Amino acid sequence: MYRYDEFDHALVRERVAEFSDQVARRASGALTEDEFKPLRLMNGVYLQLHAYMLRVAIPYGTFNSRQMRRLAHIARTYDKGYGHFTTRTNIQYNWPALTDLPAILSDLADVEMHAIQTSGNCIRNTTTDVFAGAAEDEIEDPRPWCEIIRQWSTIHPEFSFLPRKFKIAVIGAEKDRAAIRTHDVGLQIVRGEDGGTAFRVFVGGGQGRLPHIGQEIASAVPAADLLAYLTAILRAWNLLGRRDNIHKARIKILVASVGLEAFREEVDKHYATLRLEDLRIPEDEAERIKAYFAPPPFEDLPKASAPFERALLADPDFARFARNNVRRHRQPGYASVVVSLKPVGGVPGDITADQMDAVADLAERYGFDELRAAYEQNLVLPHVKLDDVPTVWRALLEAGLATANADLATDVIACPGLDYCSLANARSIPVAQALSKRLADMDYQERLGPVRINMSGCINACGHHHVGHIGVLGVDRKGEEYYQITVGGSPDEQAALGDIVGKSLPADEVAPAIQRTLDRYLQIRAEGERFIDTVRRVGPDPFRDAIYETLDAANA
Amino acid sequence: MKIVTANRLSDGRVIYAGVDNQPVERLDQASTLDDAAAEIVLAEVAARPDVFVNPYLVEVQDRAPSGRDRLKERIRAAGPTVGHSVAGGVG
Repeated sequence: MYRYDEFDHALVRERVAEFSDQVARRASGALTEDEFKPLRLMNGVYLQLHAYMLRVAIPYGTFNSRQMRRLAHIARTYDKGYGHFTTRTNIQYNWPALTDLPAILSDLADVEMHAIQTSGNCIRNTTTDVFAGAAEDEIEDPRPWCEIIRQWSTIHPEFSFLPRKFKIAVIGAEKDRAAIRTHDVGLQIVRGEDGGTAFRVFVGGGQGRLPHIGQEIASAVPAADLLAYLTAILRAWNLLGRRDNIHKARIKILVASVGLEAFREEVDKHYATLRLEDLRIPEDEAERIKAYFAPPPFEDLPKASAPFERALLADPDFARFARNNVRRHRQPGYASVVVSLKPVGGVPGDITADQMDAVADLAERYGFDELRAAYEQNLVLPHVKLDDVPTVWRALLEAGLATANADLATDVIACPGLDYCSLANARSIPVAQALSKRLADMDYQERLGPVRINMSGCINACGHHHVGHIGVLGVDRKGEEYYQITVGGSPDEQAALGDIVGKSLPADEVAPAIQRTLDRYLQIRAEGERFIDTVRRVGPDPFRDAIYETLDAANA
Repeated sequence: MKIVTANRLSDGRVIYAGVDNQPVERLDQASTLDDAAAEIVLAEVAARPDVFVNPYLVEVQDRAPSGRDRLKERIRAAGPTVGHSVAGGVG
């Protein structure tokens, strides 16, 4: 993985020193909250319902055991012993004191971590496929390009005062495991006409109040011109985007209002000159960065593993874990292991300091010291020898991290909601917990197969409800929590926004309604159809009927 | 009736204006004020930005939040309703 050079070290240390001074001046009263707010938002610090919140960047979701142990140390020393992994592959601490922030950021800098680009109107932390470098179907590892984007975008002077935040995601396979079309810019690595690396570019995706699926603006931008093309997009938006209305400032609104063709013309105008300037990525520099992401020293192993096969036969619980949480790897004899942060009745994405240490130990001993944060609020050990998977599973079991529900109905994505967030209208965690308890039966979940359920506590959509196969949005109705349900959303290469099925439901009706939706799917699915396939085939009506049937009966 | 709430500068914790406008951590220690008194207290704590961050008024009835934001204010007063993944629950 990438290691800081002297410039990175200096930049992060200088930022820690600068922000420490700003915190000291705020604590002394020399800076008002209004003066301090834009400064803290450049450093990942929010003021939430109960306390300050610090969001720490995990660039493209890749980190190592030393960094994970440091995250555990911070949770223990400065917080309440836990952290929360977000849908942007970052980690949040919910309880740090203002006066501890300099020490926390200094501790992070020791292990090449920071909170830059996790908040504010800048180019945010770039995200990618959680199985990057491990997936069988990948044509190229996207992480070097994420790192190149990171180096270009960090405190970029032209893009430090954007109309709003700007999010980029990169994938290296046809299959989209990073929801690129819900980002301001989505990049898919493809082969260009000359056989070299190129990028298919989507623009104008985004969720929130006015959701849009990203549209293809370019089919194959040559790799060397990537930064010129991204600069052209950002420059076009920075110049034309609205700044008078926060809800209309994202690039998705601009693209939708002028139309893709007109926006492409604008971008091409900038690109025509930018690509001639010194934004071309030198090949040797690209190669230098790629070297950081070279595959770990895999052993030459047979495809099958006797210890793995034996464990499958010996222990049905392990077999279930293997079916649901173990993914095929490009290297024979290896697998990627999904560590679910969705125990039955738990808080989606939460992890204790002890669990962080346990996962760090496993990464170090069995996983080439590599860890990934998934936008689904889970962790991944990307490179584990199949022989070692049973041992890893036992250790996860001991740490309370072996829930075998990856991509199943209880692998719910949920924002912190009104339990923590000052923007929320309704709680999302308790609704997710009620659903998780109701659907806990693993046999039932496996019968259902993959289904993604997403919950957001407000229209800002941090829980990605628009693109959940089933989405749940909390709304406030005269001071009471209600939940609007959508069906048929999808975050992947067939990205789609869900259809709102009808009027919103009170909190205790949500889990039963979702179970009826899933039961209806079991009744009407065709052979081999996943939940989302059935929704695409039959539309939302049968599910609408299932959601409202008891309510209609009660009102009849 | 109204109370005055804010977040505490040093650690962001929820505070209320209590007796003599002293910051107190528990809602039941907050001074309950009529509209005119509430505006005066709000102005007074706003003049103490070294303690009170973003102060505002909360409607209460029988010392419990009663306005449109009552759920939010109850959660602010009592902490997250979901525990926080540490054995022992809400801390």
